[in-house]
Amino acid sequence: MKLHEYQGKELLRRFGVNVQDGKVAYTPDEVRQIAQEYGQSVVVKAQVHVGGRGKAGGVKFSPTPDKAYENGQKILGMDIKGLTVKKVLVTKAVDIDKGKEYYVGMIVDRNVQSYTLMACAEGGMEIEELAVEKPEAIIKHRVDPVAGLRPYEAREIALKAGFQGNLNKLADMMVKMSKAAFELDANLVEINPLFVGEDGVPLALDTKFDVDDNAMYRHKDLADWRELEAEHPLEIEASNYGFAYVKLEGNVGVLGNGAGIVMTSLDVVNRAGAKPANFLDIGGGARADIVYNAIKLVSKDSDVKAIFINIFGGITRADEVAKGVIQALKDGILTKPVRMRIAGTAEEEAKALLAEVNSDLIQMYPDMFQAAEAAAQEANK
Amino acid sequence: MSILIDQNTQVLVVGMTGREGANHTKAMREFGTQVVAGVTPGKGGLTHEGLPVYNSVKDAQANHQIDCAIIFVPPAGAADAVLESAHAGVPLIVLITEGVPTIDMMRAVQEVKQLNAASLAEGGKGIRLIGGNCPGLVSSGLSKIGIMPNKIYSEKGRIGLISRSGTLTYEAAKLLGDAGLGTSTTVGIGGDPIIGTTFADVLPLFEADPETDAIVVIGEIGGADEEAAAEYIKNHMKKPVVAFISGRSAPKGKRMGHAGAIIMGNVGTPESKLAAFADANVPVADTMPQIIDLVKQVLNK
Repeated sequence: MKLHEYQGKELLRRFGVNVQDGKVAYTPDEVRQIAQEYGQSVVVKAQVHVGGRGKAGGVKFSPTPDKAYENGQKILGMDIKGLTVKKVLVTKAVDIDKGKEYYVGMIVDRNVQSYTLMACAEGGMEIEELAVEKPEAIIKHRVDPVAGLRPYEAREIALKAGFQGNLNKLADMMVKMSKAAFELDANLVEINPLFVGEDGVPLALDTKFDVDDNAMYRHKDLADWRELEAEHPLEIEASNYGFAYVKLEGNVGVLGNGAGIVMTSLDVVNRAGAKPANFLDIGGGARADIVYNAIKLVSKDSDVKAIFINIFGGITRADEVAKGVIQALKDGILTKPVRMRIAGTAEEEAKALLAEVNSDLIQMYPDMFQAAEAAAQEANK
Repeated sequence: MSILIDQNTQVLVVGMTGREGANHTKAMREFGTQVVAGVTPGKGGLTHEGLPVYNSVKDAQANHQIDCAIIFVPPAGAADAVLESAHAGVPLIVLITEGVPTIDMMRAVQEVKQLNAASLAEGGKGIRLIGGNCPGLVSSGLSKIGIMPNKIYSEKGRIGLISRSGTLTYEAAKLLGDAGLGTSTTVGIGGDPIIGTTFADVLPLFEADPETDAIVVIGEIGGADEEAAAEYIKNHMKKPVVAFISGRSAPKGKRMGHAGAIIMGNVGTPESKLAAFADANVPVADTMPQIIDLVKQVLNK
């Protein structure tokens, strides 16, 4: 689960990280009020779950409360990559010329089977751009998953990266960020820019925080922060059903049993000359009602012109899949052509059930290629 | 010989009395697997389908020679069950559970590796973890420690199969069977970002297995495990390897069902995996049926 900047900062604050003061505003009046309260120049920053806010005009320096109000008016309600800005963070501004910006971050790194801590003396940029432009400037360090990051390691990394400032305080900030990552199950946590002013004290100006969805059961307090409006409405409905579902830009609805088979089904639809409208994994052992809901969900997508069902039953029984499809047809939920391939456990029973249904809407094929081909043809009609 | 398991492997089912544990215990026994006991904390002393149930892995280990523990414990307790089995000295641990928190896996994998090193240093068998989020492993016709459909693994063949995806291993095994090639051992390594055994860990076992003539590697987008496998093949393998990459049309930044199936920045792209296999002279099938053509080609070389 991705968190907003202000939420990530709140979490870092809880772990003792020195974070730039800021407050959230929902109206231009609130923006002005916060700016007046701070009595200094502020920065108004859009809070949306996409990168590139600055380039899109979603981050504005505001020397006076009136200017802050004006910037609040501009940013609130603006569209950034398809998302409407509903709230802004108003933070105290710092004079970046009177200090230096750095980058520190921790990411789950499957290659070292733990977190990798990254530190770089070039702050303010996206780490991916940094990695392309100056890979040698990024210092990387595997963090022991049991011991965590120790202060001496943090000091070594800060020195290697060429950080200037109070070394102990820099290391302390990194250690605290690391604790936050472990205790909050972060997939990613970044402090960028990490600003060191003339006093040598590090200050977190911005942060990125992404929490492992599999660990949300132990962070129930963070679950309230999930913002469903930021996700596609069909993705929200799918999560209510417990499906792994991704909305894509195409015309063939794709569903199957298992992430691997659905991924391959997307590839096969592409090869057949159409585009998948979604990724939908009904999971292992799905019963008829689950399949019924899956068809209901995919049918709601107006982009979908045909549905490709690809089942290789292991735990999943093919006859249960067939029953779900047939029920959806009877209830009038299945209104688009379904082209399916069904194999594995209880394949014969499934085929017998489907053979009884006399409808042009449902057709079976002996392999996934022919089924995908047929679905693509229907969708492209 | 097959790799890792055979008809003599004595299996303990951790979480045996839960729904999945019970169903798959039955299916594994139908396949011919020697399931000898189960563990469900609090149900020690009971029997399940004629098999003894223990409160802990240690208790089971005291009464049986356990070669492998298969774990069907829900996500919150899954890593703990792995560590319990590892500390009890079970040499092969198969974690089926999907959705285990990443940090739990980081810690468990590291600890299992340390216990493995200690066991080997003392002249023991070592300790290996396969999974999580995996379908398990099968030695065709001999033993299945996992959740794969029994039918497609009934006959022994000579092709080794390693995959990150459960359903695609079924698909590939069926294709290999229908083509008269068949599988020797199938290892589902799992679709999570942090897993106990990688492609590169399994490849040397197949290289050394006299009953395996060629290996099929089924990868997917995300991570760099396929690249590491290609590197290993290039430097160490004499047996032919054929690959397949799933999710080639998936968009960047979207998680495709598997926690590990996501392209982040420039890491985990199909291009990088295809290039790595090309560099290692490993032919990559464009479609699953093409795997069969490629396997036949490399066997005839």
